Amino acid sequence: MMMKTMKILLITFILQMGFIANSQEEKDDKFKEIEIKTSAQCEMCKERIEKNMAFEKGVKDVVLDLETKVLTIKYRSDKTDPGKLKKAVSKIGYDADDVAADPKAYEKLPDCCKKGGHDHEH
Amino acid sequence: MLNSNIEEIKMKIKNIVWLFIALILISSDVIGQKISGIVYEMTQQKKKVPLPGVNLYWLGTQQGTISDEEGKFELNAALNNSNLLVASFVGYLNDTLEINNNEKSVEILLSNNKTLDEFVVTGKQSNTFVSQIDPLYVQTITGAELSRAACCNLSESFETNASVDVAYSDAVSGAKKIELLGLHGKYSQMMTENIPNLRGLSTTYGLGYIPGTWMESIQVSKGTSSVVNGYESITGQINIEYKKPDTEERLFLNAYVNHIGKLEGNFNGSIKLNNRWSTMLYLHGENLNNKVDHNGDSFVDEPLVKQYHVFNRWKYAHNNYMAQFGVQLLDEDRTAGQVEFDKTENPENSSYYGINIRTKRYQAWGKTGYIFNNNSETSLGFINSYTYHDQSSFFGLTRYNGSENTYYANLILQSEIGSHKHKYSTGLSYLYDVYKESLNDSIFNRMESVPGVFFQYTYSNEKNLTLLLGVRSDFHNLYGTFITPRVHVKYNFNEHTILRSSIGKGYRSANIIAENSYLLASSRNIIVKPTIKQEEAWNYGINLTQIFNINDRDLNINIEFYRTDFVNQVVVDRDQSVSEINIYNLDGKSFSNSYQIEAVYELIPRLDVVAAFRYNDVQMTISNKLEREPLVNRYKGLFSLAYKTNLDKWQFDFTTQLNGDARLPDTRENPAIYQRPENSPVYTIMNVQVTKNFRKWNIYLGVENLTDFKQHDPVIAADDPFGPHFDSSIVWGPIMGRKFYGGIKYWIN
Repeated sequence: MMMKTMKILLITFILQMGFIANSQEEKDDKFKEIEIKTSAQCEMCKERIEKNMAFEKGVKDVVLDLETKVLTIKYRSDKTDPGKLKKAVSKIGYDADDVAADPKAYEKLPDCCKKGGHDHEH
Repeated sequence: MLNSNIEEIKMKIKNIVWLFIALILISSDVIGQKISGIVYEMTQQKKKVPLPGVNLYWLGTQQGTISDEEGKFELNAALNNSNLLVASFVGYLNDTLEINNNEKSVEILLSNNKTLDEFVVTGKQSNTFVSQIDPLYVQTITGAELSRAACCNLSESFETNASVDVAYSDAVSGAKKIELLGLHGKYSQMMTENIPNLRGLSTTYGLGYIPGTWMESIQVSKGTSSVVNGYESITGQINIEYKKPDTEERLFLNAYVNHIGKLEGNFNGSIKLNNRWSTMLYLHGENLNNKVDHNGDSFVDEPLVKQYHVFNRWKYAHNNYMAQFGVQLLDEDRTAGQVEFDKTENPENSSYYGINIRTKRYQAWGKTGYIFNNNSETSLGFINSYTYHDQSSFFGLTRYNGSENTYYANLILQSEIGSHKHKYSTGLSYLYDVYKESLNDSIFNRMESVPGVFFQYTYSNEKNLTLLLGVRSDFHNLYGTFITPRVHVKYNFNEHTILRSSIGKGYRSANIIAENSYLLASSRNIIVKPTIKQEEAWNYGINLTQIFNINDRDLNINIEFYRTDFVNQVVVDRDQSVSEINIYNLDGKSFSNSYQIEAVYELIPRLDVVAAFRYNDVQMTISNKLEREPLVNRYKGLFSLAYKTNLDKWQFDFTTQLNGDARLPDTRENPAIYQRPENSPVYTIMNVQVTKNFRKWNIYLGVENLTDFKQHDPVIAADDPFGPHFDSSIVWGPIMGRKFYGGIKYWIN
């Protein structure tokens, strides 16, 4: 009896996870991808940007490549647009292509994320 | 302009975090188009752990890379001919290394606060990981793993861990015990931030004193451990790291509730006062004020607990010097027994059986560290702590009061001999313990004063062999001088196969009443045979880790065998008579053989699977007969699934534990209705939890003991608690059935 309950629960659990995984990968015309060059410096910046962008409206996937500092975002074009996304990056405290970092947010960054300053000086 | 700016930033960072970097030249072959290397971090036990995610770039350029999962990196020569390589990592000072033209391979050692701080665990590592570099097999349970079972304190933190078992000690007081290698938790050394803690009088209820959300990580090491922290660990070491004042999280709030009405609140907040000082305040409160008796035996299934805990710590860091100190205050009131019992009554006049345990615990500790300027490999650390613990309690008509004053100090010098191949730690320690205990009219007082000296040498051929030799000598006022030798060897056959082995000795003084106080909720008489000696045991262990790469993901298989052999043990004999507990020195053999296999794999992306099985063969000589130790499960199994959706928005956790049969203490002397079977049945427990994450908060819902499995009639003679057969100590399974819980966490970074 116990083993049976256990099996049912386990199968339900796995199926549920499979369902969620599938629904995430659903293909749709509305899905677009954008690459934004940021001023991210380190692992901490990467985490900050990814964690925050994940909760922006319409964002489906976020990856920041620290080597190139390029942030790749998959998003739903009916819910957001490149302008909004760049503004969101700026609000976290980082440059996003031509949109400069929001100065207030930049001030709040941990010190190790601020050293990006020197990149612009040469 | 550029330089002054960099200097300024560097100075700033230097003021916040304090560390050192050492550069080892491995090879001096010519041709330097590319430079490669490995970044390690040096933990306080001088363990080298590869550090992933370290940012490496040529000074003044944007040309850089990041170290991979194994700490490795590769970087083309700088286009601007810069020879200054900058290594930077969260929580560590970035430093600049000069790379000569003929160097193509470097090893970078990052270390923060060598003697005093643990490293920051990044999100990239798996929830529970084992260092490949450490000569000791140390499993680190990270904050992410801790959040998988969101309730509530240290005792619940091991639910998803295969090595540490947690069980109720008795059916009424709610005390939890842990087991490592099939032996009671008193044989493993508990530490908080590398200071011995939760020992002595707090052995029984101590697991409930550390709130889950205060913890940053837990390190579990099985088998004999380092001699640096004392002679006490026999089966292993469990170290708890609290959240730190200078990390990103500035404020954290948590509220928890379960369906029987337990409420819990946790807070921690930190402030950076200036470049040198930071402070952190932790608060915890819990309250269960609802009497629940689902099994209808007239006893509450879970004790009513009211606990307050306040902790404030301060950190100072400047150049080569760093200091930390903290104060902790805890107050707990625990009431159990029969539902009808009113704790305001005098238990001697009440017609109901009641238990009340009132605990006050105050602690103060300090740690200071200094790194010598001329030799960054040499450092001096000083740790000291003071604990006052007071328990006043009654179990029906039995009164037990105990107080403990403990002072502990440890002075550690770490350095190397000639090169990084030969390192050592040496120092002096002092332990002062005063126990005053009374059980009804019997008084048990004890004073221990133990100065000690230790030396530990680490040899590493910097390729595949690490050897750790440690010895300490302690001068005990009651037990005389004794030597503690401990040896560890680690050998990497290749990148994927690691063999570890250890032999060592450990000792401890038994606090016969305090650590067995869960037995007081019975009509058994405690009979202590004179004279109780110090407990003493050898531990031998062998551990093989094999990593297979399947589908670009690592399958970790770990196979291990540990044997503990007691030279002397304080035997707590519940078999000789149902009306007595006999406590005496071991006369004969007592051992534990523990065989375990564990597999960890990310089955599909973001789905982590852990499967483990352990067989325990624990036997001791009880009344001149070698027998299975009672209430130790013959085997244990663990299967856990953790799944996160993309971007971590949802998290699903499922854990099931298989509990093998255990021998139950002999009850054949009892009348038939009060007898219990010879062995407990095999049973499984399942827990599930779902977490929904938002930007600054999350909400979780879970079920403990999903299948509602319960031990029936856990209390013997519950209908006659003042009679001769009453016994609540034969507990092998859960008393509480299915439990629903939920909570909210909120944080500001």
